[in-house]
Amino acid sequence: MKKQQFRVEDMHCVNCAMRLQELEDTLPGVKSVDASYRTGKMVVEYDEAKIKSDQILQAVRRLGYTAVPES
Amino acid sequence: MPELLVAFITGFTTGGLSCMAVQGGLLATSIANQIESDITAKAGRNESRSFKIALPILLFLVSKLTVYTLLGALLGSLGQVLRITPLAQAILQFAIALFMLGNALRMLNVHPIFRYFSFEPPAAVTRFIRRKAKGETTFLTPILLGALTVLIPCGVTQAMMAAAIATGNPLSGAGLMFAFTLGTSPVFFALAYFATRLGALLEKHLVRITAAVLILLSIFALDTGMNLLGARFTLTRLASNVIPVGEVALLPNAVQPAADGNLVLNVVDKGYRPRTLHAPADLPVTLTLVTEDVYSCSRAFLIPAIDYGVILDATGEKIVDIPPQAKGTVLPFTCSMGMYTGKIVFDL
Repeated sequence: MKKQQFRVEDMHCVNCAMRLQELEDTLPGVKSVDASYRTGKMVVEYDEAKIKSDQILQAVRRLGYTAVPES
Repeated sequence: MPELLVAFITGFTTGGLSCMAVQGGLLATSIANQIESDITAKAGRNESRSFKIALPILLFLVSKLTVYTLLGALLGSLGQVLRITPLAQAILQFAIALFMLGNALRMLNVHPIFRYFSFEPPAAVTRFIRRKAKGETTFLTPILLGALTVLIPCGVTQAMMAAAIATGNPLSGAGLMFAFTLGTSPVFFALAYFATRLGALLEKHLVRITAAVLILLSIFALDTGMNLLGARFTLTRLASNVIPVGEVALLPNAVQPAADGNLVLNVVDKGYRPRTLHAPADLPVTLTLVTEDVYSCSRAFLIPAIDYGVILDATGEKIVDIPPQAKGTVLPFTCSMGMYTGKIVFDL
C-alpha cells in the first residue's frame, strides 16, 4: 500500500472534499481517500499493483478538479 | 391543552418572525451550503430544484424542533431559572456574526484562511454516513445548524422557555416547546423557501448574492450584540432615532419626565414607549414596566449596564429599582434580541 498526498486547490466547499472522498468507493485499488477542503489537500492510500497515480489524477479530473502530487 | 394551542399560535404569529430575525443567519448558511453543493455537482441528480431547496430547510427545521423539544423537557425538569446573562448573549451574537462573516468571505474566495469557517466533519464520519445514506452527505450542515439555534433563542422563545420552566414537568415543558417551535416552522419555511426560489432566478450570481446576504446578517448580529452590551451608538438605535415609528401612540402616563423618580415604561409588541425616559440624577429611581397583551420579544427586557434582565408577563406590571446615577448618565435598555431599544437619561 502506498500513501500519496495531493494538493487540490480548486475545491470550492466541503462538498467538493466529500465528492473526492467518494473515489474510494469507485476506484478499484484505492483503499481510502481523505480530502480536506480546509487544507486543500487529499491523501490517497492505494495498492500500486492495482492502480497508478496517473489513473487517480484522471479520476479526479473527471470530477472537475485538478490534483497535483506532493512529494 | 389550551396552553399548547396558545404556544403554537404564539410561534405561528410573533415567534416565527422574531426567531427568523435572530436565527435566519444559521438557516441562510444551511441553504448556502446546499447551493454550493448544487453548483458543485452541476450535472446533478434528477431531483427537482424545489426539492433541493426544500430539503435543507426541512432538515434544519426538524433538527431545531427536536432540539427545542429536548430543551423543553430539560427546562421542565430543572424547574428553575436558566438565565443567560446579557453579556453571554452578546458574546454569542458576536460569535454568530463572526461565523457568518467568515463564511461569506470564504464563499467569495477572499483567502484560504476563511475555509476554516466551514463545518468539515472528519472523513471517518462522512465515510460512515455516505455508506449508510448512499452519498447524501449534504444534510449534515442543516442538521447541525438547526441544532445550534438552541444557543440563540429569540426573545419570544425565551419567554416560552420561561413558561417551560414554570411547568415544572419535563413532559409539559417538552410539549410547550414542541408546540411553539412547530408554530414558528411554517414562517421559517415560507420565508426561506421563497427567498431562495427568488434567488434561484439569479443563479449565475447566487453564491455571491448569498455571501452578500450573510454579510448583511452578520452586521445585524454584530449590532444586536452591541445593543446587548448596552452600547449607546448602534445601527438599531440610530434607526429608531431617525424613524420615530409609533411615537404618536405614546400612552399618556408615559410621556412626562418623572422628577420624583417614578418612571413608567409601556412595553408594547413593537418595543418601548417612550423610547427615551428622563429621570432625576443622584436619586434612587423606580421604573415600572407595564405590559398588556404583549407577545413579542420586547417582554424579554434588559438593562445591560446594571446587569438587569427579566421576562415580563404578557399582561402585568414589574417594578425595577435603579440605584442613583450621576447627572448626565445614560442607561440604554433593550429587548434580549437587541431589536427594540430605548434609554433612560438622568438629566433632571
